[in-house]
Amino acid sequence: MTSFDSKKGADIHRHLHSHLPPDPALRVKALESLAVERGLIAPETIDAWVEAYSEHIGPMRGAQVIARAWLDPDFKARLLDNATAAITEFGFEGNATGHLHAVENTATQHNMVVCTLCSCYPFSILGMSPAWYKSAAYRSRAVREPRAVLAEFGVDLPGDVAVRVWDSTAELRYIVIPERPEGTEGWDADRLAAIVTRNSMIGTDRVLKGA
Amino acid sequence: MDGIHDLGGKEGHGPVPVATGDAPFDYDWERRMWGLARAGLVPSMTIDWFRHGLELMVPGDYLTYSYFQKWATNYLMLFADAGIATLDEIAAGHVDDPAPPAAPETTAQVIEQVRAGCTDFSTAAESAARFAVGDAARTLKQGTAPHTRLPGYARGRSGTIIAHHGCHLLPDQGARGRHVGEHLYTVSFGAPELWGADAHPADTVTLELWESYLVPA
Repeated sequence: MTSFDSKKGADIHRHLHSHLPPDPALRVKALESLAVERGLIAPETIDAWVEAYSEHIGPMRGAQVIARAWLDPDFKARLLDNATAAITEFGFEGNATGHLHAVENTATQHNMVVCTLCSCYPFSILGMSPAWYKSAAYRSRAVREPRAVLAEFGVDLPGDVAVRVWDSTAELRYIVIPERPEGTEGWDADRLAAIVTRNSMIGTDRVLKGA
Repeated sequence: MDGIHDLGGKEGHGPVPVATGDAPFDYDWERRMWGLARAGLVPSMTIDWFRHGLELMVPGDYLTYSYFQKWATNYLMLFADAGIATLDEIAAGHVDDPAPPAAPETTAQVIEQVRAGCTDFSTAAESAARFAVGDAARTLKQGTAPHTRLPGYARGRSGTIIAHHGCHLLPDQGARGRHVGEHLYTVSFGAPELWGADAHPADTVTLELWESYLVPA
């Protein structure tokens, strides 16, 4: 049983630090062997999870949701009201989206999402997070100098656009609704979804490319 | 805890690895780690104990290990702590008394598990909310031991309640294995309140904060 004893946890971490080779591949191999031998998981199930998050669950899900929000004002209203409920219309609910909130970019407001304390991310709607999202640089700087961070992503934000940074400190998760670009009039949902980037739904991309 | 994990506002970490860090995975062992972690390997833990476990890592390791390297190390700690494997078994990479193997699951089955994993962290309110949307609130200057979700950069600062979410499980108690709900709010802070006069006056940072982190401003 888990002890929930901080001193015990810290003692074990120091032991592992002193006695185990740091090579991460070896540590994961040991962990997998221990878990399989304890009957906690089958190796094939690990393969299945990898395939699920490689082939089926990814940012294309979020892009479909954004495209529908652009095309269907009623859906957009439902998404802004309760994103967790709205994405069940696609069957996209799941890991880390039990309290999903959609926040909308406008001509005068830009939204950007970070988790400074760990790396919380809405997995079931955006898939696995990019490595930069989990980097110390992004986690430390997004709240303090969001405009400098955005510039590193190639986003040149005018001074009259306010930035709101959402630090995911609880179990609420965020998806940014980017602005629909000009030149996309008459496009269908698939064509629109194809131009919605993962980074635009995190808020490190802003101006999407239309025609 | 006031650990190395509390990175918000810290300086000196350099540019964001925008191009080199675009992919979710660089190595196969990272994929294995992700798949392992999805399977709920430590049924007796809470998500807050998992996060607290990462905070308890050796600080130098926390800063230099990659994300999934931290996870692997933390799960080994969680295994040893919960008695799933001894420290000797972890060093050997094998257990002394194997259990019957788990039944393999298909991709279709785990996709269904993803949907079933849409967890609700809200709880029934047992007291009236102390704050309402629009109220001014100030954060405490100290966090709660051993675990808090009030980052250092937002302590002792004044902000405005912009949303009330009812009660959610309090991580401070979850890290101790206790399920206790408390009113949860989204609080907006002006960038100059957090970072000084040079910050853009129109910019804001919002955090989800539990009622016990806040006092009326």
